Amino acid sequence: MSENPQEQQPTTLPPQPSSGIISRREFVALLVGTGATLVMAATLSEPLDYFARDILTQRGSEEGHSRHRWGMVIDLRTCIGCDYCVYACQATNDTADDMRWNIRITDETPRGDTFYVTRPCLHCHHAPCVHVCPVAATYARSDGLVVMDYDKCIGCRYCQTACPYGARSFNWRERSDVNTHTPEWGAPEVPRRPKGVVEKCTFCIHRIDAGLANGLMPGVDVDATPACINICPVHARHFGDLNDPNSSVSRIIASQPTIRLREDLGTDPSVYYIPPEGLV
Amino acid sequence: MAAEMHLEERPFRRLGLRKASLPVKLWIVLLGLCLIIGVVSGVYVLVNGLGVTNLSNALPWGLWITLDLSSIGLGAGAFTLSAAVYLLGLKRFEAIARAAVMVGLLGYTSAMAALFIDIGRPDRFYHPLIYWNVHSVLWEITMCVVLYSTVLVTELFPVVVESSARLRQIKFLRSLAHRLHSFMPVVALLGVGLSMLHQSSLGATYGILTARPIWYSPSAPVLFILSAVTAGVSLTLLVTLLSGKLLAKEMIPPDIVSGVARLIGFACIAYLYLKMWSWAATNYYSYVPEQQLGAEVLKRYTPYDFTFWFGEVVFGALIPAVIFLWRRTRQNHNVLMLAAIMVIAGLVINRWNMTLSGFVIPLDWSPGVRDVFPINSYEPALVEWGVAIGIVAYSWLAYTLAVRFLNIYPDARDLPK
Repeated sequence: MSENPQEQQPTTLPPQPSSGIISRREFVALLVGTGATLVMAATLSEPLDYFARDILTQRGSEEGHSRHRWGMVIDLRTCIGCDYCVYACQATNDTADDMRWNIRITDETPRGDTFYVTRPCLHCHHAPCVHVCPVAATYARSDGLVVMDYDKCIGCRYCQTACPYGARSFNWRERSDVNTHTPEWGAPEVPRRPKGVVEKCTFCIHRIDAGLANGLMPGVDVDATPACINICPVHARHFGDLNDPNSSVSRIIASQPTIRLREDLGTDPSVYYIPPEGLV
Repeated sequence: MAAEMHLEERPFRRLGLRKASLPVKLWIVLLGLCLIIGVVSGVYVLVNGLGVTNLSNALPWGLWITLDLSSIGLGAGAFTLSAAVYLLGLKRFEAIARAAVMVGLLGYTSAMAALFIDIGRPDRFYHPLIYWNVHSVLWEITMCVVLYSTVLVTELFPVVVESSARLRQIKFLRSLAHRLHSFMPVVALLGVGLSMLHQSSLGATYGILTARPIWYSPSAPVLFILSAVTAGVSLTLLVTLLSGKLLAKEMIPPDIVSGVARLIGFACIAYLYLKMWSWAATNYYSYVPEQQLGAEVLKRYTPYDFTFWFGEVVFGALIPAVIFLWRRTRQNHNVLMLAAIMVIAGLVINRWNMTLSGFVIPLDWSPGVRDVFPINSYEPALVEWGVAIGIVAYSWLAYTLAVRFLNIYPDARDLPK
């Protein structure tokens, strides 16, 4: 490399037909070309890197970096399939029966034992919905929450197509129905979403954000904890900070085997399940 | 240069509508009625929301997405023939290039109309231009489609000026058209680049979704652009031959017809080659449990296995490839039109199959062994058909009028009676 500047000196000799594989002129052109490419790559790497990471996750931008990562543990051994969490969610987040954010299905183990799976949004760390949204209306916060900006959403429904868990609902109509789950299961705490946008479980983001601002700890203090957690009569659902080794969720995950849904897809969900007996 | 020549030496005289024959007038009236049906249906959807469709949370895309994917695919003749003329130096194909660009613009505007109705918030249609998510193939498609439509309008602008005696007299328009015309190779190449991006990305829209075993495929993007080349050029050839038939004219020289037919034939072979390898690699030579289960469900409960083999492969590509490449069939324009229709139908069937087959297989995320999730199904609602018919009628009506009012075929000659 150090010899090159000397090689570039103009010579008085007329251009000679090359005797080697590559002529001096070609060699210099190649060098300059490589150099220019490297300089361009170095210049562009920062803005490209910005596109590659920060738009996707907002990490290190406006909201600053959160030290929390919110997560949930659902115990499939204790869940009795009562649907209380489904109804509490519907009341609190004001969702219609055909667009529930949190659903319950009945499945069975290879031995034939019945068990119940409830499924909120799993708030994946590598969320397919966040990747595919053409307007970045759904995005990941640094605290692990995957949230929707209803003012940006154009209603293309690509996120519904991409979500491996069917966790997203579309507002097919202007809502005028009466919420049949109030007041028994709670009262609506968020406004209804307009016709034409996609919505999904938020981990009751309004409780988390307001709770933290008031010095409460989500997962510990009821007022800062998602409605589905509080209502569960058998304490099958736990909520807390996955980054805090002393939180209830971290301690469960550390002490017993847990599974996550479709782990093979690499979505890295924030919801862990304690499997029923007979299911690995 | 070409534009100038037509201006000075062979001034274009438009056909207009007054002298149109009765069948043509009836055709226009029919399309007008379909257009009205479309407008009424569209307004109904815009007012009442997408709840009036048969779409659901489990199957959120249907007929309109098929129409949108098909329209863009069928508009691919524009970039293919631009590539032939400006990249491969096949200048003689310029005779059909304007027709291809017109078909392209109508395809892209149709797709935009379909998307406008299909998104939940049409009032926010411009959001992808402002709120970027460069990770989204759909964002990339939106940007490319917007830019490419601009390219198509730019390419057509000189034709519009050239075709109107009134516009020709305005000096500014005339010089602008002339200047644009000299930039045309650059504009066309830009268009080729944009098309190479978004035609494939439409396939990637499905191909990148890891959770859907039927869709997840690295060959989907390339299959989309190859099929678009076959069907896009086929549609351009079809409307050209059909216009010639109706007007008793030779719209483009016979050797160009033959050349374009061969081009489609070779594209069909390339498409078939990749399609069969894509099938064999995933369905025959390897075993991916989810993929196999999905294929089994499609075979047993849906028509999509049958329509794949017969609609897409045999009638959509194999038979047309023979027709387009065999010299004897290639010389018969009626047979060529039939083959073109087969290729076009093959593409539409492919886009429908692609959309539906991915959605009918339910997402199975439960850890247990019971069959919890039902197979999804969908049939378009009447209002969905109404909108689709209106959009198709728009493009046919616009092309009919374009042939009568614009200098789309500068080399057209009257046939000896």
